[in-house]
Amino acid sequence: MSATASAIAGPQVLAQGAQGTIDVPAIQYSALSPILIVFGVALAGVLVDAFVPAKARRVIQPLLAAAGFVAAFVAVVLLHARRQVLAAGALAIDGPTLFLEGAILLFALLAVLLVAERRLDSSGGAIVASAAITPGSPGATAQRSSAEVQTEAYPLMAFSAAGMLLFVSSNTLLIMFVALEILSLPLYLLTGLARRRRLLSQEAAMKYFLLGAFSSAFFIYGLAFVYGYAGSVNLGRIADAAGTVGANDTYLYLGMALLGIGLFFKIGAVPFHSWTPDVYQGAPTPITAFMAAGTKVAAFGALLRLFYVSFGGLRWDWRPIVWIIAILTMVVGAVLALTQRDIKRMLAYSAIAHAGFLLTGLAAANSDGLSGSLFYLVAYGFTTIAAFGLVTLVRTGDGEASDLSQWQGLGRRSPVLAGIFAFLLLALAGIPLTSGFTGKFAVFEAAIAGDATPLVVVALVTSAIAAFFYVRVIVLMFFQEPGADGPIIVTRPTLTYAAVGIGAVVTLLLGVAPQPLLDLAGTAATSGFVR
Amino acid sequence: MSAQILAQAAGEITRTSTGEAATFWVLAPVAVLAALGMVLARNAVHGALLLVTNFFCLAVFYLLQDAPFLGFVQIVVYTGAIMVLFLFVLMLVGVDSSDSLVETLRGQRVAAIVLGVGFAGLLVFPIGGVINNGTTAAGLTAANDGGNIQAIARLLFTDYVLAFEIVSALLIIAAVGAMILGHRERVDGKVTQREMLRRRFAEGGRVTPIPGPAVYARPEGTRLPAGLPGGGTDPGAGQGAREGCGDIEGNGDGDNGAGAHARGNPRPVGAGKGTDR
Amino acid sequence: MNPSNYLILAALLFTIGAVGVLLRRNAIVVFMCVELMLNAANLTLVTFSRINGTLDGQIMAFFVMVVAAAEVVIGLAIILTIFRTRRSASVDDVNLLKY
Repeated sequence: MSATASAIAGPQVLAQGAQGTIDVPAIQYSALSPILIVFGVALAGVLVDAFVPAKARRVIQPLLAAAGFVAAFVAVVLLHARRQVLAAGALAIDGPTLFLEGAILLFALLAVLLVAERRLDSSGGAIVASAAITPGSPGATAQRSSAEVQTEAYPLMAFSAAGMLLFVSSNTLLIMFVALEILSLPLYLLTGLARRRRLLSQEAAMKYFLLGAFSSAFFIYGLAFVYGYAGSVNLGRIADAAGTVGANDTYLYLGMALLGIGLFFKIGAVPFHSWTPDVYQGAPTPITAFMAAGTKVAAFGALLRLFYVSFGGLRWDWRPIVWIIAILTMVVGAVLALTQRDIKRMLAYSAIAHAGFLLTGLAAANSDGLSGSLFYLVAYGFTTIAAFGLVTLVRTGDGEASDLSQWQGLGRRSPVLAGIFAFLLLALAGIPLTSGFTGKFAVFEAAIAGDATPLVVVALVTSAIAAFFYVRVIVLMFFQEPGADGPIIVTRPTLTYAAVGIGAVVTLLLGVAPQPLLDLAGTAATSGFVR
Repeated sequence: MSAQILAQAAGEITRTSTGEAATFWVLAPVAVLAALGMVLARNAVHGALLLVTNFFCLAVFYLLQDAPFLGFVQIVVYTGAIMVLFLFVLMLVGVDSSDSLVETLRGQRVAAIVLGVGFAGLLVFPIGGVINNGTTAAGLTAANDGGNIQAIARLLFTDYVLAFEIVSALLIIAAVGAMILGHRERVDGKVTQREMLRRRFAEGGRVTPIPGPAVYARPEGTRLPAGLPGGGTDPGAGQGAREGCGDIEGNGDGDNGAGAHARGNPRPVGAGKGTDR
Repeated sequence: MNPSNYLILAALLFTIGAVGVLLRRNAIVVFMCVELMLNAANLTLVTFSRINGTLDGQIMAFFVMVVAAAEVVIGLAIILTIFRTRRSASVDDVNLLKY
């Protein structure tokens, strides 16, 4: 009926449209430069994959991706003083955004180093030679030691990183949704590209995809309700609408809850965590490192922005829920990590527990909580990338030595490697003189200032539980005899050594002299979110 | 009907037209039943078709709610492209792969249903409450003044221009992803004509191409092996043809029949490789 | 009839989809349930667009369709790869990852 109505109006409309011009809004592309550079690199990577011979591709692709991330990082540094809303209110460039963008780009750079490593064993790295070859078919065993690599992994990583950059700078829920998909879709694909244990990898990809699509459906439904309430999906306008008393508050609360489900899924908070261990285990380990650091930063950036900017006035309504989720996440993550036999699964549950610690920063709901969370994210990201990078180095003849029993006595065989791993585990546990301690201290201090003392008590107890399983691994490495089928330590993996080394050094520096980064996070946080 | 809507839409809508209400009350149960059927159907193809039904109902609802563009996009893109892709994959996977109804996690089904009912209650009652408050709809007559598609285009290229641009990344990712998982690069290179010839001579044996079936034979028929110009049949020829009609050869008198057809040949056709089976 | 009745319909469809995701074991059916949820969200967006009197809701529904199309391509490609290996698309057969 209405269709006929507009069909009747058709001819006049056309006449009108010819007269009327559309004023395209000015987009300050300079302020967008980090995102544009990374997108550009991704597109160039796709072209390189199409036209350059396979052998040259294996060299060009990592260089291109790394150069792109460095260039984008430089752009972020140059933009450091910018505070503005651009592209018709779609994006916001402000302190927290730039801080997190810088972090994401550094993590992506380290992850590229890990992915580009080709000296691990006879195989050509962690990425499969050809994903289209079915596991178990005649070509499958041959491709395990093939020099070929699915070099599309690099452009996909760049796309995912660009999605992460957009995610933390989005100023409307729609951009947030699109960015969420841009960062997730490449990760679903990358998860399925492991060279060894193809079946496990493919299953992880499917699981990640189905649960990811499920959660983004919740996100978009929440977006619909918030739009229904506020008449706009601009974060600032949502805050304005939420500040007024209206009859339709139901829509707002429904929308907030559903959006929360979508984002809590991405950070891996309990009860939306079930994908994390499986995906972390099944994905190629360098990709796991990228995911663990990058996705966590991006999703937390978006979560912080949404809850501080849009729902900041409603903090008395959402804080209890965040409390409950934070407690559940910490407890479940720490307790289940105790029962794991697989090193990657253990690190995955540790990532869940860390999401819980980070949520205490959100529950604090003050400026200190924001700056503490920013610092924590950077500290955790470097440590976790180094830890996963190190996991790639400890191998058996059949790929990575994933079972904890195979790590037994590593300290005797390779004291340096085991020492670095022990240090990283202590950082994850939050022992003083590591970045983990500083991060936890900053977040917990803010939480106490924000009247969340019970939450901090729970966090300290779970930290102690978590410390137990980290120490268990250290004991296993240093105070037990190596088993007969002990691991082979790879020699000369320069790129992985570089990534692990950088991660470990930063972990130490942020533990010994954290003040510069704390100041930077503080400045970023006090300047606040623009809207 | 449209005049009535236009008159009504000038102000705020608290009640829709009778026509819209009637359409809604007819199609809403269809949509819900189709959705339920999709969830409950054993056969995935039935499920997909029921989902198509549901999407059609939604398209009608979009048309009713002043969204003609979306209504048609829903039909063309969703039902036309996306659901066809689903059906395509279902057919590829095998239609008979019906779901097992065995519960792997005990109590999961009950838990899911309880959770679902609770969730529905959580959603429906608050919304119902808002309706009872007497929500009024502003209506889209003003917004759609210059035509729905024109208005959408105007918004798309102003307020939503950035989203419009970055969505292109998703399409590239989808294309690259489908290619990674589907395209298998030829590792050992393509064998050239020259190499094939070299190999054929090196192996020895037959060098010339094999004549097709029934060449130089009197009756035409793909099941007859090629005759040779000087009489007799070519032992290497027509093999594929013979295999192709194996059921004819298999029924006992096939050999005789073939021999009778190839009359005048010194040796019966049945003496070829066909009898080896 | 109040236009908000569409919202209740959408809520029902969304719930049916969500329950379907939890109930069904066939990956393709699970994915179809997710599509149903996305469509329920779209109906909500279109209805709110009418209630609010702005076209933003329709635009967002349009974006959801584009995103869903890209997602379907990736999802079905992943499901097909699994199927080629296992000859089954049941989520239950995906059990290497259980601890």
